Amino acid sequence: MRYLVKLILQILFFIGLSWLMNRLAEWLHLPVPGSVLGMLLLFILLQARIIPRRFVESGSDWLIATMLLFFIPPAVGIIGYRQLILSSGVQIALVIALGTIIVMLCSGLVAQQVAKRKGGTHG
Amino acid sequence: MMTAAASLLTTVIVYLLAKKLHRHKPHMLLSPLILTPAVLILLLAVTRTSYADYNAGAHWLSDMLGPATIAFAIPLSRHFDLIKKHAAQIIVSVLTGSAAAVASSLWLAKGLGLNEKIIYSLIPHSATTPIAMNVSQSIGGIPTITAVAVMVTGIFGSLIGPPIIRLFRIRNDVARGVLLGTSAHGAGTSKAFELGSISGTVSSVSMILTAIITLFLTPLLIGN
Repeated sequence: MRYLVKLILQILFFIGLSWLMNRLAEWLHLPVPGSVLGMLLLFILLQARIIPRRFVESGSDWLIATMLLFFIPPAVGIIGYRQLILSSGVQIALVIALGTIIVMLCSGLVAQQVAKRKGGTHG
Repeated sequence: MMTAAASLLTTVIVYLLAKKLHRHKPHMLLSPLILTPAVLILLLAVTRTSYADYNAGAHWLSDMLGPATIAFAIPLSRHFDLIKKHAAQIIVSVLTGSAAAVASSLWLAKGLGLNEKIIYSLIPHSATTPIAMNVSQSIGGIPTITAVAVMVTGIFGSLIGPPIIRLFRIRNDVARGVLLGTSAHGAGTSKAFELGSISGTVSSVSMILTAIITLFLTPLLIGN
């Protein structure tokens, strides 16, 4: 029970910070989303030990573990694009699929090569 | 018609059931990220609910993407020494990947004969949604189409990522994180956290770097 209260309070902290940072990004007309600003701000506060990590750890773990659920509503939104899917869905799917594989190979293999030159699987 | 509360509840229940099924039958096409939207689309059709009505309740879930992104600050701080140690490796490979993302989608979309507005909408598809929509707008794409492309990229990337990692024997934890975060933003990052906290953290860093690089490099790369 105490854990649950702690978890809910921590999640509310993340929601509040997200809301604040979105307002800030809007107000300053920044091209960066509020969530990225929030992440950087919280990171700085954690590094400076102004906020101890254990005050936000449980909420963070829960949010990250549950994140895939948050992608479901936008995924359902694809039903609004029936026309586009019928006219060029196959081509668009190919661009996304092949493009994503190309990006994976370019970034992953370069990173793997750099790691190998330095030696070790973790080093 | 489903009410707002019913939409929210149904989404969570279908997701939990899909997750449970996936644990018993770990098949790629049965992934909760494919099965849940598919079942929900069917339910919307059967109950004659419009997406706007559905989203009136379900948007509470997608609104949590912001707080969840902020939550990446904790593993980032937890593993910051490791990130610093591998900074050069991460930056070089994310730069390569982001440039490849813009170039590959430009040439693939042109080669497949898509019209210009759609080409520009697809170019930033590897970046996280708000940044991608921003870039799309600035180079002459249609931001809502970009949002759909980004979402499809995330789902596809988190499904195809693990098989690609196995096939090409990417054993380095940092490289796994870079691969998922650069190609499939937040969805890829949550998959990377399933592989391990180091890969997950590197993935969230790669996702941010990709967003920043895409924002500044795309206009230069496509000469617009």
